[in-house]
Amino acid sequence: MGAALSGGNGSGVGPGLGDIPESCVACVFLYLTPPEICNLARLNRAFRGAASSDAVWEAKLPANYHDLLDLLPPERYRNLSKKDIFALLSRPVPVGDGNKEVWLDRVTGRVCMSISARAMAITGIEDRRYWNWLPTEESRFHEVAYLQQIWWFEVDGAVKFPFPADIYTISFRLHLGKFSKRLGRRVCYFEHTHGWDIKPVKFELSTSDGQQASSECRLDDTVQDEINGNHKRGCWIDYKVGEFIVSHTDPATEVRFSMKQIDCTHSKGGLCVDAVYIVPSDLRQRKRRVLK
Amino acid sequence: MSSSSSSSSSPPCPKKMITLKSSDGETFEIEEIAALQSKTLENMIDENCASTPIPLPNVKGKILAKVVEFCTKHAEAGADAETLRAWDAEFVGVEHAIVFDYILAANFLEIPTLLDLACESVAEMIKGKTPDEIRKFFNINNAFSPEEEEDVRRQNQWAFE
Repeated sequence: MGAALSGGNGSGVGPGLGDIPESCVACVFLYLTPPEICNLARLNRAFRGAASSDAVWEAKLPANYHDLLDLLPPERYRNLSKKDIFALLSRPVPVGDGNKEVWLDRVTGRVCMSISARAMAITGIEDRRYWNWLPTEESRFHEVAYLQQIWWFEVDGAVKFPFPADIYTISFRLHLGKFSKRLGRRVCYFEHTHGWDIKPVKFELSTSDGQQASSECRLDDTVQDEINGNHKRGCWIDYKVGEFIVSHTDPATEVRFSMKQIDCTHSKGGLCVDAVYIVPSDLRQRKRRVLK
Repeated sequence: MSSSSSSSSSPPCPKKMITLKSSDGETFEIEEIAALQSKTLENMIDENCASTPIPLPNVKGKILAKVVEFCTKHAEAGADAETLRAWDAEFVGVEHAIVFDYILAANFLEIPTLLDLACESVAEMIKGKTPDEIRKFFNINNAFSPEEEEDVRRQNQWAFE
């Protein structure tokens, strides 16, 4: 292609940005993120053309993007440009029976995954004296598992997926207390919340190639501080389990993860379990900085 | 001008010089080894077209001088990566009109290292600026009608959801 749009740079000092041919603009785009590229598409015709170039978007997709496309019916991605494929995969793609989702981070093109509580093995989940399912829009899976009370608290999960080579962080998304909307306002209930300040919960992960990580955390504060408020209650918190490294996409990585509090001398309850997140570690770092 | 029938080209003669002629008539000498970084020049050398000064109607003398400097530096043996990176950073630390000239020259002469370096430098200039700020900074016209621009904006909305 080599079509260049001559810009209004009539000062005679040299070529303007508008004189750069589309193929060179595509080369500039290799160094910009997808949102930056999409933002520049409206600059002029050469930029719009370059912003649709397959070469640019192929470089933004993970090397094994075909593995993600395989999760979708072929008619969804047949004849799509690489840019449209990126757009398609940047929205959550259901894995298996829809209890897991995978997507590309829009800025970096890295693969992220979320696993619903439904896809996990929860001790006592069938017994409504212990656990119930609460429908809610606060979860991307539209429901969370609510624990009323139990002595043996254990949640186990596993996933096998061709993750691109990277370092990933696993975390559990949890909420102390129940919540609902009353007259447009969000209200929290803590009548069942107890036991989490006595002993910590243990989080663990292991991979099929022998990596392991674990962490421990008390989910609740021991002293209900009237003045400062309890920052652990009434909000969604991502509890980090640990990190694992993927060196090769092939063979697919298998990861197991769990959270346990099985000291049966005390009961615990009043907790919502939403999902597990598997996210590239420095992506998670970046987002946390932005939130602060 | 003899045509080469063998497919293998003879190894570059050390210190063999090629002469290049810019669009404004200036001539520059460059070592053959350095010239090989340009695919365009490499093809000409392979086909034995390089015995007389090679005319480059698309490149001004001022820019060709810098391109020769770049290729010569990058052809040097034993340059360590960090020193080269620092040298590269200084090379593109010039006003943007000149960087655009480098892009056009590197594109015409097919010098991937210079093209990448100059394009990365332009990417840094663009980062963080809105399209309007970029138009102002680089003085370019918006050739889109308001409807066209709205179309493009809508097509790209997915990246900001």
